[in-house]
Amino acid sequence: MTDPLALDPVLPPRERSAMPFNDDALGHDERFGHFEDHVVGGGKVEATDWMPDEYRTAVLRFVEMHANSELMGVLPEREWIMRAPTLRRKLALTAKVQDEVGHAQLLYRVAEDLGKPRDAMIADLLDGKTKFHNVFHYPTKSWADIGIIAWLVDAAAIVAQQALRDSSYAPYARTMKKICWEESVHIMHGRDVVVTMATGSAAQRASIQEALDRWWGPLMQMHGPRSDRAKDRDIHWRIKAKTSEELRQEFLGIYVPRILELGLTIPDADLARDPETGVWAYGEPDWNELRTVVTNHGPKSQERLDFRRQNWEATQWVRDAILGPPQAAAVA
Amino acid sequence: MTEFASFESIAMDFEGAGHERALAILLLSMADDEFVIGFSDSEWTGIGPILEEDVAISSLAQDELGHAQALYGLLAETIADGRDADGWAYDRPPEGYLHARLLDHPRGDWAATIARRYLYDTADSARLEAIAASSHAPLRELVAKIRREERYHLMHVQTWIERLADAGGESRARLLAALKAMGPDAGTVLAPLPGETALVRHGVSREPFAVMEARWRDEVGATFGRLGLPELPPTASPDRPRTDHSDAFRSLHAEFTMVRRSEVGATW
Repeated sequence: MTDPLALDPVLPPRERSAMPFNDDALGHDERFGHFEDHVVGGGKVEATDWMPDEYRTAVLRFVEMHANSELMGVLPEREWIMRAPTLRRKLALTAKVQDEVGHAQLLYRVAEDLGKPRDAMIADLLDGKTKFHNVFHYPTKSWADIGIIAWLVDAAAIVAQQALRDSSYAPYARTMKKICWEESVHIMHGRDVVVTMATGSAAQRASIQEALDRWWGPLMQMHGPRSDRAKDRDIHWRIKAKTSEELRQEFLGIYVPRILELGLTIPDADLARDPETGVWAYGEPDWNELRTVVTNHGPKSQERLDFRRQNWEATQWVRDAILGPPQAAAVA
Repeated sequence: MTEFASFESIAMDFEGAGHERALAILLLSMADDEFVIGFSDSEWTGIGPILEEDVAISSLAQDELGHAQALYGLLAETIADGRDADGWAYDRPPEGYLHARLLDHPRGDWAATIARRYLYDTADSARLEAIAASSHAPLRELVAKIRREERYHLMHVQTWIERLADAGGESRARLLAALKAMGPDAGTVLAPLPGETALVRHGVSREPFAVMEARWRDEVGATFGRLGLPELPPTASPDRPRTDHSDAFRSLHAEFTMVRRSEVGATW
């Protein structure tokens, strides 16, 4: 374990609250105990608080992956900003992608306070050392994908994100409130695109169904394999509140009826809700695919990372120019 | 797709009185300018040089597209031939667009984006000033709204051009290259439109384009002088028609009409 002092909070101790774990006179184990009691009991942690290494590392890893996902998540959709078929759709899609860039910015700031600079996080993402969500490793093949992503991918995400509004790490919880509000607008935009096409021409309807068929697998994998609640460190530290399976069940409970209502077919013959328990049964998601994809071996992983790397390199001079000191103009 | 072979046919299609026809051309050229620059800016959404600027340029793009939408809407009311704002924005061949040649340059690097935005925003500002007290009330009201937003665009781009020029080195070299490529086309934003005499006579605009252009050149000249940037050259090939667009715009057009063309007449 790293020396806890090496990862001490960025903000000075004088701004800390009067919690016992903030008492510098106590030994590490005692502070750890107080901190754990506080968090497990539903208490919140601010960036200025003392926190054990285990907690800091867990929050940082969680928030950094979320930030990476927002940043990489703009790529599948931004390709279609140029092709949006009406002014209204183009405005809505530009605003949605802009929101995601804004979320990345907010989340990287939350993560920065935990001790890792933004440049280091971007470098690790571009070097393939850190991960981003599985759904952003797939191609967007049609305008229908734009509807399915904004409606269902964002819906699956919001189910998870709503549960993060009560995260023990208070700066993250506050950020999630803003993000959830914006994501709910994305879902309305996505649903409107889907409904318009599902009630449109035969070709539009076929296109929406085809997109749903392609995205259903990644959607079912998105929350991850079932896990043991008792062994989940992120749940122990109350960084998150729900297990993968709880989130997936919640998503299915809300969205399966809405999808079927539009006359669309869900490509899973085993999908059924037990009328007594209310639990959804479903065909086993391809966890091997999930593992392959999130380790950057998905159909678009390398292309998207390459695209990010190229753009990052191509704009390095801009960051140098504005983040560096002004120089005397070179007069010819 | 509506047959709309040339700039002249746009003018001829419209059967209103002289100054109303000129008004329609003015609205269409302004709407197309905003539409195309909004497109170029939105190409940065998601890949801006820093996250904060990425968010900013997406806002600019949305403002410009909103202006285009309002101007196309005004045009649709003026012409009333059944086409709505989207019909005007999307359902024309490339040669039916009246935007300035300055906006025909491909997106380019960040310096090209800033150079284009600076040259366009300052020229557009001179144009908006000339029609701010327009006798055509719907245009006057819309321009008041547009100017409130454009004020911030100008402050934003002014800051950027100063930083890029003052940073020296690669930054300044890239800015100079962009200005060299676009400078000869900068004046096309304020190139005279057919019927502008009628626009001035009826008070739609307070002055002809040549007066706006002179005012704009003075302003840009003062800024460039201060930043040690070379003077803007006069417009190259001023007689080249507004409808003669670059291959870059033709590619952009093919892309932005792609989904819409896939099923003509469908609701999206």
